[in-house]
Amino acid sequence: MHTQLEELVAKAEENIAACRTPNDILDARAAYLGKKSVLNGLYARLRELAPEERPAFGQLINEARAKIETLIAAQDKEIKNAIRAQQVQQELDLGMPGWMSPFGSLHPVTIVRRKIEAVFMSMGFEVAQGPEIEDEYHNFDALNTPQDHPSRNLADTFYLQNGKLLRTQTSTVQIRVMEKYKPPIKIISPGRCYRNDKPDPSHSPVFQQVEALWVDKGISMSDLKDSLQNFATAMFGVDVKSRIRPHFFPFTEPSAEMDISCVSCAGEGCRVCKQSGWLEMGGAGMVDPAVLEMVGIDPEIYSGFAFGLGIERIAMLKYNIGDMRILFENDVRMLRQFRGESL
Amino acid sequence: MKISKNWLSHYLTHDLSDNQLNRALTFSGIEVEATQVMPRLPEELISAKVVTASAIEGSDHLKVCQVDANDPAGLLQVVCGAANCRSGMMVVLARIGAVLGDLTIKKAKLRGVESFGMLCSEREIGLSEEHGGIIELPADTPIGVSANELFGLPDTVFELEITPNRSDLLGYIGIARDLSANLGLPLKLPEIKEITEFAKETLPLKLRIDEPELCPRYTARLFSDVVIKASPLWLQVDLIKSGLRPISNVVDITNFVMLEQGHPLHAFDYDKLQKENAGDEGPAVIVRKAKPLESFHALNKKDYQLRDIDLVIADGQNPSALAGVMGSSDSAISSGTTRIVLESAAFNPSSIRRTSYHHKISSDSSYRFERHLSPECTIVTSLRATEMLIKYAQAKVASELMDPYPLVDRVKYLALRPANFERLIGYPMDTQQIKSYLTRLGCKFIKEGAWQKDALEDAAQIPAVTADKPAALWFKVPQNRVDLVREADLIEELARLDGYDKIPMKTPPSRIMDHHANRIQEIVSRHFVSQGFFEVLNYSFNDPASLQDLGMDPEINTQKLINPQSSNQSIMRVSLLPGLLENIRYNLNHYERDLKLFELARIYPEDHETEPLRCTALLTGNKGETHWKYKTNALDFSIVKGIMESLVELLDLQVDKVAEYRAPWLMQANSLAWYVKDEPVLLMGLMDAEVCEKFGIDLGTLDQQLWMIDIDLHRLIELTRNVELTYRDLPRFPAVYRDLSFLVPESEKWLAISEYVKSVEPELISGVQLLDQYRGKQVPQGFRSLHIRFKLQDEEKTLTEERIEQIVASVIEVLTKQCNIQMR
Repeated sequence: MHTQLEELVAKAEENIAACRTPNDILDARAAYLGKKSVLNGLYARLRELAPEERPAFGQLINEARAKIETLIAAQDKEIKNAIRAQQVQQELDLGMPGWMSPFGSLHPVTIVRRKIEAVFMSMGFEVAQGPEIEDEYHNFDALNTPQDHPSRNLADTFYLQNGKLLRTQTSTVQIRVMEKYKPPIKIISPGRCYRNDKPDPSHSPVFQQVEALWVDKGISMSDLKDSLQNFATAMFGVDVKSRIRPHFFPFTEPSAEMDISCVSCAGEGCRVCKQSGWLEMGGAGMVDPAVLEMVGIDPEIYSGFAFGLGIERIAMLKYNIGDMRILFENDVRMLRQFRGESL
Repeated sequence: MKISKNWLSHYLTHDLSDNQLNRALTFSGIEVEATQVMPRLPEELISAKVVTASAIEGSDHLKVCQVDANDPAGLLQVVCGAANCRSGMMVVLARIGAVLGDLTIKKAKLRGVESFGMLCSEREIGLSEEHGGIIELPADTPIGVSANELFGLPDTVFELEITPNRSDLLGYIGIARDLSANLGLPLKLPEIKEITEFAKETLPLKLRIDEPELCPRYTARLFSDVVIKASPLWLQVDLIKSGLRPISNVVDITNFVMLEQGHPLHAFDYDKLQKENAGDEGPAVIVRKAKPLESFHALNKKDYQLRDIDLVIADGQNPSALAGVMGSSDSAISSGTTRIVLESAAFNPSSIRRTSYHHKISSDSSYRFERHLSPECTIVTSLRATEMLIKYAQAKVASELMDPYPLVDRVKYLALRPANFERLIGYPMDTQQIKSYLTRLGCKFIKEGAWQKDALEDAAQIPAVTADKPAALWFKVPQNRVDLVREADLIEELARLDGYDKIPMKTPPSRIMDHHANRIQEIVSRHFVSQGFFEVLNYSFNDPASLQDLGMDPEINTQKLINPQSSNQSIMRVSLLPGLLENIRYNLNHYERDLKLFELARIYPEDHETEPLRCTALLTGNKGETHWKYKTNALDFSIVKGIMESLVELLDLQVDKVAEYRAPWLMQANSLAWYVKDEPVLLMGLMDAEVCEKFGIDLGTLDQQLWMIDIDLHRLIELTRNVELTYRDLPRFPAVYRDLSFLVPESEKWLAISEYVKSVEPELISGVQLLDQYRGKQVPQGFRSLHIRFKLQDEEKTLTEERIEQIVASVIEVLTKQCNIQMR
C-alpha cells in the first residue's frame, strides 16, 4: 500500500505538470482528489492494516492529498496567468465601430405628445380619447359656438357626406367626458384635429392638439396658471415663464391666450418670437357656465378651466424645426435624428 | 392580551357574532391578532367523582379508577394515565360516544383492563394547552354537571394587540367601554357594594411613600381571617381563557381584578412583613428606591441585584416587591397566609420600563404600568378586590382604606372646534353628535367657550366666547384616558367612533383613462422602434385610386369628404398601407435602401362604431446596417417572422393558431396570420411587386423584397384586456434533451412535424427546437435534412434512461408513419 501511494503521487506530479488548459485541471482534480479517485479509495482500505499502523498511514494519505492539492493549485494559477498574458498581448483596434442592434425612432410629434401626456399624468390628469369624426353638436353647439360663426364654414371645417364633420379641436372630448362622468373631472385629450387650411410652414389640414380640462369645486384661474407653468417647466425647463392675457372664445369665460417666454432667446426678442419675447401656446379659460349647464353640471357648485395646445407647434419650438410640412414628409433622415428621444 | 367573549359579555350587552365583534374591535383600532373558537363540548362530558384509583399491575403510570357519574348501572371503570389522578377527586369524564376533535371515546382495553371513558385534561377539552394532568374540579362540584356549564362553553377568545397609547384598554371594562361608545351599546359596570362588616380587630401598618415622583399614589388595605384555597371554578376558567394559570383564591382575585379593571394589584402576606423600627406598632410598607446592591428574591425564583434607581416596595427592612413589576417570594401569599396587605398603586411608567428592561423581568403588571395607568383608578380597583376577597376568601376587612396620594393627577379640560373636525377628517360632524360620542367615551361636556390650544385644569378658567376668537366645545377628559391631551386627540376619537369608512374620497379613482389601451400601444410602438423601425405620420385620408390599386373597393365601407382639398384626399382612410407605400417610395428616391417604417393610427371604416386603432409597417432591404465584422443579410421571412414572434412574447399573447393568410396585395403562400380566439390579430406577408409598381416602387430593379406587417391593434387591445400572467412553480426535476437528425420530404412542414413530436408525450415533451436545416450534396432531391432537439421533463420524478429511450423510439415511429421521415 505504501508503494502504491508513492507511485500515485509520482504519477500525479507528472500528469499535473502536463496540464495545459483549465479543463485539464478539472480532469486532474477529479482523477486524483475526486470521490472515485484512487487516493480516496485508500481511506477505505485503511482497515486492511493492523490497527496500530492505521493512524500513521492515514497521516501519509493526508499528506499526499495536501501535496497534490498544492500542485494542482499552482498549475491552475500558471495556466490562468498565461491566458491573461495572452489577452493583454492581443492587438486590438478599439477605435473600430462596435456592433449594435439598429433601432429606429418615434415620430417627433409622437415624442412630444407622449411627453405632454406624462407631464399631465404626473399632475393627476387622466388621458381621455374621443372620436375624430364628430357631429355638429359636440364640435360647435355644445361648445357655445353661435350658429353663424365663421368656423362652421366649409372653408374652415371638413364635412363628410354622411352629415358628420372632422373635429376642429379636441374640446369635443371634454363635452363627451362631462356628459358621461360627474366632477371631479381632470383630463387631457390628445389627438388629431382637422381644419381646412392649405399646408404651409405653420399650417396643416391635419394636426394634433392636446386639451386639458379640470372641473371640480373651487377650481379657479389660479389653478389654470399653476398647470400652465408646470407644463412649461416640465417641457422647456425651469427658466421658462408663462403668462395669460385676455382673449375671446365662445366656450370659455373669462378667456385667455397662453404664452411662454421665448425658448430661443429667453425673452430677449428674436426671429422665432418675432421680437416679442413671448411665444403663443394656445387658448385657455374658465369653462363657460353655459357649457357646464349644457352637460348638466351646476356652474353654481362646480367650476373648471380648459386649455388647448398645438402639439406640432410645441415640437417645432422644442426641436427648432422651421416648417411644419417637414413633419409630414416622413423622411428617414429627419426621423433618424429622433432616435435619442424614442425609447 | 386575550379576552374571552363570554367574560366580555358581563360588561357589554350585545348579540354580536364572532365576526361582528372582530370587525367592531378592528374598526375601534384594536387589532385582532388571532381568534380561538372554543366549541360546545359533547353532552357526554360531565363532572364525575373518582371513587377509587389503583395502579395497574405491570404499568408504571396507568391507574384503574371506579368513577361515579350518576350512571344507573353504577360505577364506571375508567383507566387513566395521569399522575394527578387519585381517589376522591372530582374530574371531567368523557363517556363512551363522546367525540373530541379526531378522537372518539370508545370502550377500550389497556393492559387487559377495560375502560369505559376518559378523564380529561384542559387540552383535551380545548380550554388551554395544559396537558400535565387531568382537570381537578372543586370538591363541591355536583356529579353529572355538563362540561359546557362548568367551563362556560362555547366561547371565543380574541387575542388583541393594544396600541401603546391606549392604557385604558388593558382590561375587559376598557374594551367594553370602547365598544359601547363605538356601537352605542349599553355598558354594564360591576356594582361595588359598600363594606359593612369589619374584622373585630384592626391591624396596624406603617405606610409611607418616599418617592412621590415615581409613585404618585399608594392605596392599601389590610385583611385578616383569610382562608387560602382554590378559587371557584368559574374564576379559574376565566383566568385560563385569558391565558393565566389559577394559583389560589387571593392571587387569582388580584389577577381577575387586574384583567377586569386593567389595573394591577398585589397582595403581600402581612405576617411576613417586618417592622421598620423595633418600637413600631406594626410592620411597614415603604415605597422607596432600592439601596445599592440590595438583593431581591423574586416570585419567579430568581435573585436580582438592584440598582439605586429601581423603585421597590419594602417592608421595614427589605424589598418585598420590585414596584409594579413583581413581588418577592419572601412576602408572597402561601397556603398558610391568614392576613394580607392589598396594594393598589400607581407608578411612573418610565421607571417601571427601565427596571423591567434592565432586569429582564416582564409581567402582566409591568406590561400595564409601562403604558401609564392613571392614579385615579386605584380606589375602584381596590374596592372591587376587597369585595371579592370577602366573598371568595372569607377575608375580613382589618383596616380603613389607606390612601397616600402625594402627587394628585389633575383633571384636564380640552377645547374642540367642530369646524376643525371637517378640516382634518374631510366631512362635517354636528355638535350634537360630537357631544354624544365624547360622552360615551366618558368625557363630560362643560360649556362653550373660546378656543385655546392648551388644556386647562380648572373649568372656571374656560375663556368666554368673544367675536375675535373661534368658539369651541369644552370637555372634561376622563382621567383614565392619559392619551387625550390635545384637540387633535379628541378629533381622532370622533373619526374613529364614527368609522373611518365614513370618510369620503375626494377624488374618485381613475375611471376615464383606458390605461390598458395606452400600455398596449406603447408596447407595440416601442417594439417597432427597438427593431429598427421609424414611425411615420400621414394624413388621415386615402386616395380612392390607391385603394383600387390595392384591390379594395373605395365605395364600400368608407366615409367620404364633401370638401376635400384634393381628390386624392377624399376618403377617410381605411388602410395605412397607401401612406406607407408613398413613404417608402419617397425614401427610396432619396437613396435610402434599407427601410423599416411603421404608422400607428386610427382608421375610419364606416361600419365601425369606434375609430379602430391600427398599426401597419413596411420593411425592405437589409436586416441591419453593414458592419466590418458581422455581415448583414437581406430581409427574409424568418427575420420578419422573428419580429412578430418577439411581439407575441412581449404581449404574452395566447395564440391559438398560426396559418396562411391571403390579401390582394400580398404574394400567395408568403403570408401568415396569428389567430387569437379565431381572430387574425397579427399579419405578415410579402408585398406583391406588381402592386408596388403601381405605387412607383420598382422592386425588381432594386432587387429588394418589401415585407408588410399589419396589426389589428383594436382587437389586440381587447383580446389582451384583463389577461393576467401567472407564475408557474419551477420544475423540481432536471430536464433531459435528446437530438434527432433525419430526412423529411419537402412537402412536410415544420409546424406539423413539431406538433407530431409533442403529441407523442404531451405531458413530458415540453419543447421542440429546430437546430438545423440542410439541403445539399448528401440529401436527395425533394428532401431536406432536419436536426431537432426536444426537451423532456417530468413534473413528478426524474426520468429514467429506459423511459427516455422509449420516448425517443416513439417519436421516430410517429414521424416515420406521419411524415415519411428517414433516419440518417
